[in-house]
Parts: sequence; structure tokens; C-alpha cells
Amino acid sequence: MSLLFPLALLGIAAIAAPLWLHLRRKTDPRLIRFSTLRFLQDSPSPERRPLRLRDILLFALRCLAVVALALAFAWPFVRESKPTIIRESRVYILDNTFSHQANDGVAKARDRIMREISSLGSDVQVAVVELAGAPIVLAGFGDDRLALEQKLRDLQPSHQRGSYLAAFRQANALLENSFGEKKRIIFQTDNQENQWTEHVHTAPFLQNTEVSISPPLAKLANLSLAFPKLQRIFLGEKSIVTFSAKLSHDGSAPRTEVVLKADGQVLLSKTLDLERKPETVSLQTEWEADANRWISGELTAQYAGDALASDNTLYFTHPPVREGTVAVLAQSAYLRLALSPEVMRGHWGARMIDPAKISEQLASENDAEVLCIESGYLQSPDARKLVWRYLTNGRGVILAANRVSPAVAGALRELGIEADSPAEGKRSGNLVYIASNHPIFHPFRSPDYGNLGEVKVHRHTRLRAAQGMPLVFGESGDVLLFQGTRFPGKLLVCSFGFEREQTSWPLHLTFIPFLDLALQHCRPTGEDGNNFECGETTTISLPQNSSAREVTVGGARFAVNNATAQIRLPDKPGIYEVSFDSAAEPARRFSVNPPPRESQLGYVSNPEAPAIWTVPNEKGPVAQAGTVPASALSRTDIFRQHWWWWLALAGLVALVTEMLWSSARKAQI
Amino acid sequence: MKTTIQGRNRRLIEEFDPRTLAALEGLDLKARYVMEGFLAGLHQSPFHGFSVEFSDYRNYQPGDDLRHLDWRLYARSDRLCIKRYLQETNVRFYVVVDTSASMAYRGSGAWGSKLDHARLLAAALTWFLLRQNDAAGMITLSGGEEVPKFIRPSQRPSQFGLMLRQLEQLTPAGGACLAKLIQHTIRLVHRRSIILLFSDLLEPADDVALGFKQLRFHGHECIIFQILDRDETEFPFTEARVFQDLETGQERNITPAAVRATYLERFNAFMEAWRELFRGLEMAHCVVQTDDNPGRALARFLSERRKYK
Repeated sequence: MSLLFPLALLGIAAIAAPLWLHLRRKTDPRLIRFSTLRFLQDSPSPERRPLRLRDILLFALRCLAVVALALAFAWPFVRESKPTIIRESRVYILDNTFSHQANDGVAKARDRIMREISSLGSDVQVAVVELAGAPIVLAGFGDDRLALEQKLRDLQPSHQRGSYLAAFRQANALLENSFGEKKRIIFQTDNQENQWTEHVHTAPFLQNTEVSISPPLAKLANLSLAFPKLQRIFLGEKSIVTFSAKLSHDGSAPRTEVVLKADGQVLLSKTLDLERKPETVSLQTEWEADANRWISGELTAQYAGDALASDNTLYFTHPPVREGTVAVLAQSAYLRLALSPEVMRGHWGARMIDPAKISEQLASENDAEVLCIESGYLQSPDARKLVWRYLTNGRGVILAANRVSPAVAGALRELGIEADSPAEGKRSGNLVYIASNHPIFHPFRSPDYGNLGEVKVHRHTRLRAAQGMPLVFGESGDVLLFQGTRFPGKLLVCSFGFEREQTSWPLHLTFIPFLDLALQHCRPTGEDGNNFECGETTTISLPQNSSAREVTVGGARFAVNNATAQIRLPDKPGIYEVSFDSAAEPARRFSVNPPPRESQLGYVSNPEAPAIWTVPNEKGPVAQAGTVPASALSRTDIFRQHWWWWLALAGLVALVTEMLWSSARKAQI
Repeated sequence: MKTTIQGRNRRLIEEFDPRTLAALEGLDLKARYVMEGFLAGLHQSPFHGFSVEFSDYRNYQPGDDLRHLDWRLYARSDRLCIKRYLQETNVRFYVVVDTSASMAYRGSGAWGSKLDHARLLAAALTWFLLRQNDAAGMITLSGGEEVPKFIRPSQRPSQFGLMLRQLEQLTPAGGACLAKLIQHTIRLVHRRSIILLFSDLLEPADDVALGFKQLRFHGHECIIFQILDRDETEFPFTEARVFQDLETGQERNITPAAVRATYLERFNAFMEAWRELFRGLEMAHCVVQTDDNPGRALARFLSERRKYK
């Protein structure tokens, strides 16, 4: 015998009331309170009866009524131990990815699952898998359904993206250990199109499993912001921040109010007309900001009919400028001047390497973050070793191919670059086809920093790399600038030298910003990632001299191991401070935003993937008779037992009898 | 005095209805009801104006108010004399009320408890005294407290309200406290005064008697209003009951028929002892029944008051 609401047993304490009624001394109605008994002192004193229960039967009746009613409210039930054939094993997958929040989809799906579970009998085994960032088993087949209901009730909507395939694999693993004659997966989802198409070519793995998928949603209007990009550019002493983001819309919003806030100030507030605009609009702006402070803020785009409002705010952070070190092994006067302290003070500290002392530099192991070298120096074996060391140690190298001799061509070949010597001396004209999405050239979309198309290259070397990413092409179609991807360090190769006879770039407005951005891009990574997705797991590096033992992000603590910490970003979008140990000042700031793909609210009606994942024509295992665990009794089963009814009836009968009895006694008195 | 009460006041006394008094709200109204009725009966009585009558002469001294100079005497005898009046020689009255628990007793025929009766008489007399430009004060021990409430005597009109409030706050509680109350009175009252004591005197007589003797020794005049219920004086109970002492909580099984004679014998002896004591101390002793007209007590008071003129 168990109780559904054991706390109701506290009601038995109400027995104290009849106990007091039957123990108390009643006031004698024949008592006369007289002013004085000093003239009647010789009269006898009345005898006082000891404390004892009166009317035992009436008392017992009242106690019975109290106990019976308390027990009835506690709702007793009996757990049957007889074996039950399990007809069906059923796994519910609740899609708790960010896209399912649209139109309150997660809450509706959760309520649907709770309703279905409460109506199921004990011959159906139930498990529930929640799909957030990763599939989580909320309740296995043996778990208590009441506890499961509580877990479902406490479920919070997630802002993460999780894989449908992973959820099905988790459900399949549960079903493999189930007893049910019939196996079934019920997927409560929004049927997001990009999720179903993502793993459509996965090999079949569902055997004898019936898959039911909730009907797709109607198309919902959504407007979202994603991909924040911030960069600092220095124009003389001015530190400019360029910010860009992508605004996606499905055409249902005619216009939106865009507001940009940074460090508590509204920098931009503008109504954006979206009619006849492409589905993805690139937003870009810039403002002047202190180079020594963190930048954090948010961009919002409001639209009243939005089904998914959480992706209408985009958070961003950017660190302050940290002075980098650059080693220069170049004869170009323009390059040396551009990297001199007068120009790059506060941003870059340049160390000029004496060509005669490259071996000393090689021996010192005091490398800068970026090495700027002209290809002519690659004739020296020490220079080649130095470049190789920079690249293999994860540092950056900017290589200007000002001269290509056979020895240099050999050195370039070691780096995976083929130099085509006949092209040397060819006039290539202006820069064309610039990869404007690349971090180096992204800010140049704004005309404020000059027009790269005006830069002329008079002479260049035709270079080819199997492992490289072209960034700038010349009018002849040759690659003038590319990024090597062979090494851990970043290699930026320029097919011309920064001399006056080879290019007009050093004299152009764009040169200093380009050089600064190129150096920033090539410097070792570690702190360049400050924008993450909700629930993302990442590794952060602590400063080498740090003795911190733990890292705190949004209230959660993570252990530090070998100056690195693996952290998990919070589930909710926002700006979070990262602090080491109990330091008051935050060391870094992270912005956390929902996954952009989850904002694409395109749905499919009959997804192809479940059919592909299912193995056809195989007979399922023979059903095994299992004993239903006692805790698996559903509330419906408990309500079907009528113990509470009989107890309530007994309590009422006792109460009625007591009332009649008491009335009769009063009439007698 | 006796003639006065039996005169026009007879009708007033006969017309007194305890139910009317019980129905009146507020001590102020009750006191006025009693006193106005009483004074209406005294309209032609010898007591009228006794407090504003001429007393004697004294020689004129520079600075005296010339309004009080007897010009006729000056014309006749060529002497400058100032007339003196009785009201210039008024005395101080102290109202002392016993609040022991026995004062809470109310018999079946009474309009209120003994304390209600004491309150009413005290309020009526206060109103009367203040109207006659006498100074009235009060000493009480309320609800078994140790520290007495003391109102300094005064002739101001506001004194009546002050004393009424104090009287209304009195609650019967605790055991015998009369001896203590008298001791407080001796300690607090220094000048010769008239003490109006309201009590049922149902306490051990020795300590209280000592207190009365000390009061007398200090030169105070005392008028004792002993308030008793008809149940106490006649013990009219018939059925056997459990009696509980209001002050001690003691309980006794009483068969009235069997003990009535003994009770009345002891009660009369007790009353006789008080009478003997007050007679010896030359104190006025006025027994007031709770179902009786309070005007009787007032008449008795006035006759005593006349003695002190």
C-alpha cells in the first residue's frame, strides 16, 4: 500500500481536537460565584474528578472520522506485483532546440507528451528524450512516471541547436533494451527543414521501429540577426571599430527598427525598409571607441509579428587592443616605416632583424608574434629555418615575394608554394576580385578606408599553392595575395614586394590599415574568439604567468588544467564575463547568441530521413513478459483504485453518526 | 435630615426605577440622573445654599477686595470689616474606591454590580461637590495593582471628567486590598480632608480597622459607604449549589437551608463589629443596597456634610 499524497497524513493531527473535547473539564452549570465565603468556611469542599476521557465510544467515533478522512485525502493505492505483458515500448523525443520555441512550440509539445503519458496504461513502457544541444534521457523505461511528469514540467526552453539524428540514435539505444512487442518513436518537433536534410544520407539504423512525427507547422514569420563581426582600425591616432552583422528575414516584415547599443550608449537607431530586399541583409557601421577598453553591446531588430523573438537581439563583444610584436626582415623602406613606432605605437612593436644576425635570432628563441619577411632573404638557410619555426609554432608570417631566384623558388616550394618564374615582371594592373568576407578586407567594404581597387601592382610573381586560399586577384587573373593553410601558423603570401617599382600600395591610404589588419589576422589565436553560440563548449587559454585554478563564466566554474580550461557557455543569450579564480575584474567577455541556423524557420511536411534511417523487412524480437515496476503505475491506474472512496465514505458515515449521537445527547441533557 | 427625605423626596425615592438607571449609557449620565433628581427634591430644603452663606467678619487689611467690604457696618460703627463666606472655607474630599474581586458581585435584583454602584455614587458626589466649589480627588487601586492611581484634589470643572474617566477604568480583580488602599490614602493625604470610602468591607476587619484608626488619628473625617447586595445580607438561596469565592477561588458545597441561619448570624455579627468600630471612631457609616435607590446614600452624605459645616 502506498500513498499518492503522503503529506495529507498530517491531517491525522486533527485528532487533537476530539481529544481536547473529551479531556477538558466542563464548567459546572450549578456553580455560583459569590462575593465571599468567609462566613461559610465550615462547609465541605467539592471533590474534583481526575483527568480522564469521557464518552469513549463518541471519542472513538470522532477519531475514526478524522483518520478515515486524512487517509482518504492521502489517496492510498496498491501496487500490483503480478507480471504484465508489455505491449509497447515507446520513446518520446521532445525537440527542445531553439527553433521549436517559435510560436511556443516546446511548451505545446511538452503538454502533449504529458497528456499522452498520463493516459497510458501499465502495458506501455515509456521513455522520454529531450533534444537540446545534445540528446538527454529525461526518463528511462523503468523510471517513475510521476517524477517524469515533474521533470517535463520543470523543463526550460533551450537556445541551442541539436541534431535530430543524434536524438533518434539515443532513442534507438533505449529501444534496444526494451521489452515491448512494438517499438515506437514519437518525435514532437517543428520539422525544421535544415535539420531533416542535414543527415538525410545516414545509413539505416532503426530496426522494427515505428516512427511518428508531429505534423509540420505552418510557415512562421521570423526576423533574425546573426554573425556579429567587430574589428578595430586605426586611422592615425583614431581607433575606429567596424561592426557588421547579418539580418535575415522571410519577407513578411515590411520594415524593422534597428537599434545598436554599445557600452550603454545608443549608437544607431534606424528604421530599415525590408521590402524587395534580399533575404539576408548585411548591416555595417563604425564608430570611434577607446582602444584600451572592452566593447560590448547589442544590436536589436524589432518586428511585432515575429514568431521567434529571442534571435532579434544580437550580442557582441570585442577585446581591447593588445600591443603585438612583429619581427621585420625586409629592406622595403615603406614596410619598415609603416611598422615603425611612430606609426604603430600602441598596436605593434616592431623588431628589425639584422640580416647578418639571423642565426642569433634563430638561437635566441625569442620569437615575435608575426614575422614580416621578404622572399629575397629566403636564400639564407637560417631565414628559411626561422620562417619554418614561426609557422610550425602557430605564429604568423607575412611573406612578400619581391624577388624569386632559384634558391628562393626552392624555399617557397618547401612551403608548398610554386613560383612561376616566367611571369616575373608581368604588369598586372589594379587589384580586383578582393575577398571582402575575409577579416583583412571586410572593413574595406566601407569607402571611408579607401578604395582597394585603386591600388596598382606594377610587377608581381605568379604564385600557386595547393593548400592556400586566394584573397586578392589581379587584372590578369593571377593571385596577388593568398593565405596558406598548410601550417598551424597563418601564412600570408603577397606576390609582390612593397617597393615603389612593384606596387603603389605603400603610398595608398589603405596600406596602413591593411598592414594592421593583416598582422592582427596572422598573430597567434587564443583570444580572438569572443562570440559563441548558446551552450557551446570551447577551450580558453589562460595567460602563461597565470596561477588561476578555475574559471568562472556566468556563475559556472570550470577547472584549469595546464593553463587551459574547457568551458561550456551558458544556454541563454547575453554577454557573460569570464574571470579567473575570484578576481574582481573580469579577464574576458563573451557574447553568446542563438545558433543562426535555428533561426531558419522552414519546415517540411513529410521528411524523407526517417524512412531512410529505418531498416525494412526485418522481424522484430519476440516479446518478453516483464514485470512492470511498481513505480511505473500511472496516475490513471492509481485513480482507478477506489481505496480513497471507501475511506471517505467511512469518514462521512462516522461524522453523520457522531452528529446524530451528539444531538441525541444534547436533547437528553 | 430624616424629615427632608420623608418630605418631597419620598416621591422621588419611590419613583426610582433601577431598570431606568441600568438602561442609561455612561457614568456621567447616570450620575446626573441621580443627582438632578435628588436635587429637585431638595429644592426647598434647609440644605439649599449652605455653601454660599455668610460666616463672619474680619478686619479690613490694605489690599482686600473692596467689593467684600461691609459698607453698612462702616456707616453704623465706623469700622472697616470684610465679610467672610462659608465657601471660602471649603474642604478637600477624596473618593476612595475598593476594587477587590468581591465588588464584582451582582445579585439577581440589582441593576449593576457593587462596583457599578460605587462608581455611580462616587461620580454623583463628585459632580455635586465640584458644583459646590469643593475640591475633589481620588485614590484607587485598580485590578489588583500595587501602585495606586491618585488624582490630586481640585475645584476645576475639568476635574469631573478626569475623575469619571478614572472611575470608568476601574475593574474588579484580585483579593482583599482595602487595608492596602487605606494605607496608601494615609500616605498620600497630608492635609485634613474628608475621605469618602466606597467598599463592601468584606475583608478581615483587623487590618482595615487599624487603617481607619490611623485615618482618624491624622484628623481625617471619613464617610464609609458600605455597598452590599441583597444576596449577602439575606442569603436568599434555596438550592444546594457549589459556591465559589470571587476573591480566593475557593469552592464549597453549600446547602442554603442548612447554613442560612449560621450565615446570617455571622454576617450580622460582622456588620455589628463594623458599626461598633465606626461609632467609636465617629465615622459616618452608610449601608447601601445594590437594589436600592442611590439617593438614600446621597441624603445620608448630605446630612453628614452638614455636620462638618
